[in-house]
Amino acid sequence: MQSVSSMSSLDHFWLVIFCAIVAFIPRFFPLLFFTKRKIPEWFNEWMRFVPVSLFTALVVKSVFIDSKYQVMTSGNLGMIISAIIVGFIAFRTRSMTLSVVIGLVSVMIFVLVLHI
Amino acid sequence: MKKNEPNWLMVLRTVMPLGLSYIPIGLACGVLLHAAGFNHLLTALISVLVFSGGAQFLIASMLTINAPMTTIILMMFFLELRYALLGSSLSRYLKGQRLPFIFFFAFSMNDENYAVNYLKFATDKQWKPSQAMLVEHYSLLFWTVSNIVGSLIGSALTINLSVVDFALTALFIYMAIMQTKSRLTILVCALSGVLTIFFLVLMKSTLGLVVATLLASLTGYFIERQLIAHKPESHLLYKVHDPTGHSAMEEDSDK
Repeated sequence: MQSVSSMSSLDHFWLVIFCAIVAFIPRFFPLLFFTKRKIPEWFNEWMRFVPVSLFTALVVKSVFIDSKYQVMTSGNLGMIISAIIVGFIAFRTRSMTLSVVIGLVSVMIFVLVLHI
Repeated sequence: MKKNEPNWLMVLRTVMPLGLSYIPIGLACGVLLHAAGFNHLLTALISVLVFSGGAQFLIASMLTINAPMTTIILMMFFLELRYALLGSSLSRYLKGQRLPFIFFFAFSMNDENYAVNYLKFATDKQWKPSQAMLVEHYSLLFWTVSNIVGSLIGSALTINLSVVDFALTALFIYMAIMQTKSRLTILVCALSGVLTIFFLVLMKSTLGLVVATLLASLTGYFIERQLIAHKPESHLLYKVHDPTGHSAMEEDSDK
């Protein structure tokens, strides 16, 4: 067992290298496999639903789940309202910049000023 | 799109919203890594090699609670497994590319630049793999510079993480809305949300994201197949109204 105090920069260096390797493996091999082979039609049809499912999952995780993997029961009302506002802005304007900027302003007002 | 606009500028314009939202998050990440004992050089290295906000936040917080190295690497592995899905779903747009291209493309792919590229590939037939690679490199540049600056500023900066993190949440909400093409997609989103909460709480790891995504997307696929085969007039297959009237939501016809 190592602690922060005993972890040297060399340990950190190896940590970065190992993390880079485990990060690279799932990014590279599926991509390589499916770009080199004929992709079956059902696979493409299925993959069409992957991005939207993943984006929703990431949003739900950051709005409703805390860092200990428990459902947030308080303190996230500002984020929920901001998320709805962003969804509305995105639907109406189709502008990525507007969605992000208005989302950030709204969450700042709700969380930092109103504390909800 | 403006005429005669050089390629690098056009791609930069595409990646700009992402790049700007990376600045506060990258700063925060650099500050945290600095607090966890990383020096500036290592912060730069991890930003380039790992290039994932979630992963770098996780490493910083694990280091501050004295987690052993093997635990951190194992958690990283589960956290990064979702990239297998990203790669698989982009692969049909990258067919015929050479091995070095695939290697470097995979190396710098993450949630956010994947989102930008998937949307461009799905809506813009002119979008080329080389431009997708440029998107990755621009976002990598924004990310790494922000991390280094954060690391240099160090503790002089106090940051509310939940606020900063919301920039990415907003980005993903936008992406999800842009991907919502039929009523069935809305159903898949709802299902994915419920499954995400269930599996994250159950599994206590981001692997729950992978399971929820797999189940929700498979359900969507099977419902669509059943409907097209047996009930093609179903309301679920209706297109979602686009208030701007742009054709950006239309599927590419060469699928």
